[in-house]
Amino acid sequence: MEQWVYHIKQQVSQIEQWIRQQPADQLYIAIAAVVIASALLILFRTFNRSKANSIILAGLSGSGKTILFYQLRDGSAHHGTVTSMEPNDDTFLLHSEVEKKGKIKPVRVVDVPGHSRLRSKLDEFLPHAAGLIFVVDALDFLPNCRAVAEYLYDILTKAIIVKKKIPVLILCNKTDKVTAHSKEFIRKQLEKEIDKLRTSRTAISSADVSSEYTLGVSGEAFSFSQCHNKLSIAEASGITGEISQAEQFIREHVKL
Amino acid sequence: MLEQLLIFTRGGLILWTCKELGNALKGSPIDALIRSCLLEERSADAAFNYDAPGAGAYTLKWTFDNDLGLVFVAVYQRILNLLYVEDLLSAMRREFSQIYNPKRTAYGEFDETFRQLQKEAEIRAEAMRKLKQAGMAPMVLGKKQGQAACLRAGQQGGGKQRSSSNGGSGNDEDGDDAEKRRGLVDNSSNGPQNGIKESRASSAVKGKENGPPDSGAFDVSKLQKLRSKVAKKNDASTASKASNKEPKKIVKKNRVWDDSPSESKLDFTDPIDERGDGIVEVLAADQGESMMDKEEIVSSDSEDEEGGETESAKPIARKKGWFSSMFQSISGNAVLEKSDLQPALKALKDRLMTKNVAEEIAEKLCESIAASLEGKKLGSFTRVFSTVQAAMEEALLRILTPKRSVDILRDVHAAKEQGKPYVIVFVGVNGVGKSTNLAKVAYWLLQHKVNVMLAACDTFRSGAVEQLRTHARRLQIPIFEKGYEKDPAMVAKEAIQEASRNNSNVVLVDTAGRMQDNEPLMRALSKLINVNKPDLVLFVGEALVGNDAVDQLSKFNQKLADLSTLPTARLIDGILLTKFDTIDDKVGAALSMVYISGAPVMFVGCGQSYTDLKKLNVKSIEPDRRKWRNILRPATSDFLQISFLKIMTIIRNLQD
Repeated sequence: MEQWVYHIKQQVSQIEQWIRQQPADQLYIAIAAVVIASALLILFRTFNRSKANSIILAGLSGSGKTILFYQLRDGSAHHGTVTSMEPNDDTFLLHSEVEKKGKIKPVRVVDVPGHSRLRSKLDEFLPHAAGLIFVVDALDFLPNCRAVAEYLYDILTKAIIVKKKIPVLILCNKTDKVTAHSKEFIRKQLEKEIDKLRTSRTAISSADVSSEYTLGVSGEAFSFSQCHNKLSIAEASGITGEISQAEQFIREHVKL
Repeated sequence: MLEQLLIFTRGGLILWTCKELGNALKGSPIDALIRSCLLEERSADAAFNYDAPGAGAYTLKWTFDNDLGLVFVAVYQRILNLLYVEDLLSAMRREFSQIYNPKRTAYGEFDETFRQLQKEAEIRAEAMRKLKQAGMAPMVLGKKQGQAACLRAGQQGGGKQRSSSNGGSGNDEDGDDAEKRRGLVDNSSNGPQNGIKESRASSAVKGKENGPPDSGAFDVSKLQKLRSKVAKKNDASTASKASNKEPKKIVKKNRVWDDSPSESKLDFTDPIDERGDGIVEVLAADQGESMMDKEEIVSSDSEDEEGGETESAKPIARKKGWFSSMFQSISGNAVLEKSDLQPALKALKDRLMTKNVAEEIAEKLCESIAASLEGKKLGSFTRVFSTVQAAMEEALLRILTPKRSVDILRDVHAAKEQGKPYVIVFVGVNGVGKSTNLAKVAYWLLQHKVNVMLAACDTFRSGAVEQLRTHARRLQIPIFEKGYEKDPAMVAKEAIQEASRNNSNVVLVDTAGRMQDNEPLMRALSKLINVNKPDLVLFVGEALVGNDAVDQLSKFNQKLADLSTLPTARLIDGILLTKFDTIDDKVGAALSMVYISGAPVMFVGCGQSYTDLKKLNVKSIEPDRRKWRNILRPATSDFLQISFLKIMTIIRNLQD
């Protein structure tokens, strides 16, 4: 160890000597260059961070997020999709707006996998979120009702969502099928489930990390209107490309 | 024959699928593959078996292109042992990566390339088969002379057509007589037909149908039996791969159910004996908050140490010389090869094992990491080791993230609304702390205003009922007991009925400890679970356990599945990890158990008092990770000295 310290001291003194030998002008220039570079870097960082321009697609596995993503981007479902293993993240002009003239800002859309092991990826993207589309499978809704409600509850109680008041759109997908449930039905069921969840979760503890905030007004039945952030519900069909309501939501929250 | 061939991105978009093989798959094998294999860090396995809900069993094989983020999957009927699939997949990967462009989503022209590749692969497989059969021919002749001619004819007929590999590919399993014979039948039946028909998918069926007339003396029923046996064997071998390697444990011998002393001797459960009562003070739920409710990071340190400390394997073999590798690391162009990864993976594996992760699990994890990194480009300014480590950290986080909801209170409330008691069964080997932690869970539930009832279904070990009764008195909760030597399944059943009468919300069922190899006891447990259909089967396991964790859990699961009379067997739903306070940083058992069973760790027992129950919090790892990495970076003199010496020698070399 001591040998070490000695070595370092030697090196430092050598460097010092070397610096003293250099002309002063060059030193100033070097320092200035370093300062400017770091200032630029910091500026760039902060500029990049403050921008919240992405739309996040979340929901259970199999609800149709990836299809929706490609419908938004390319206007086609291609050959179909399988369970995602990684998020799809792209910045593009919405397919329906490609033809439009004038200045249109591209949107960043992120499709976060719904598999429960991959849900933690959601937290990576939330700081940039301008809006969140929660995709629900309207066809296969009842068996998954509780899982959907739990995921939605987790999202709605995330600190960043509550603080930044990120608007959430609950999108009932697969409405092209005849047996799909209506959005009103889904809304009511979700509210009922979340109401139950609220009582059990708030009972659990103050320290449950997953629920950072409590939802709604205590003593009243929960309804989505009690949320601080804007919550709306819409219908869509990823397969047939009937996604105008989702596009409308995106355009509302990502400024042109 | 191949049922389906897919190329898709890791994001989930299907880029290309073989249109000729437009067979509709039963069920969704691809999604099942991704969910239960690739996302569970099992991507290093050779194949994945999928049983469709209707009839039909598929085998899936896959390969990755990690650099481009592509997955290639082939699906085929399990009974067809197609050997050229892997060959074909890697050829496809080679060709497809050349035309792949992230912006494109349709690859119509790949059809042609694929046809070419398939032909080549089949020819290669055919050549290999012939090579093998040439060696085997004398044996075959000796055995069944009559059929040899038939075989040759079949081969000749097949050699010209590319569809000839139908039966042949199945042939290569040398030692397996059944397979060989099937190949014979297929060939003999299809040889003449090859010119007419190309429908290879049905070859197996055809072989079965046309078998008797073509090959006179062949016993079809026997063949089918053998075939089913082979299929079954394949099945079993993948299912119990984990448990097979472990040497068999010595079964506890002195535990016998039937000839034990008369009931009166053991049965102390009559409430005559009141001595305990005076001493035991009544304990309302006021010993303070159960630790379940306190924010506590249990796993974070373990997690990160596992990933973090491994840096000590710094001197990774560098063959290319310092300068070129330096350049590569700056430009970020180095492609990771298996040989680059090996030293880092080896170090990681050792590290995991010192943390008490079962060897088998550590091995599998490392293989899976290797499979997911191979062929990837190294980013700028990163070392192989940090890349591997990051991948491992992510994998560990993914494994420990629960798949199902671990919110028991929510489930309890749901059960309450349906007017049923919520039943939790505690199972495990002897002496892991089932009863103790059952009491802790009861305490925790009591604090949340849930009516708990205990059911003493350990009717075997003397004193077990008294132990539970003492807990019940201290916590002032009802207990259901029927003494010893009763059928635990019946006791549990009556307890549940009793619970619905007296409005208890939760029934905690204590069972006798049993070794995983003890057949009669496992049968009794299986009966208990089948009869009572509990809402939660909680496996209680020691955190102290090392390699045995794999054996215990996989055998428990296996036995529950095998002995179940119901079509869908109840398996273990969750894990309660006990004695967590005794192990310091050797937390590997948690990882082993979760990996092997796929069930989440629901509670962690970490002490002797009622409050010592925690939950494993995976979420809070994230912010901690950086801190740990810095602490654990070997900023010791060792490390510095090495690098300093290195720099000095390099400078000296440059001067020369």
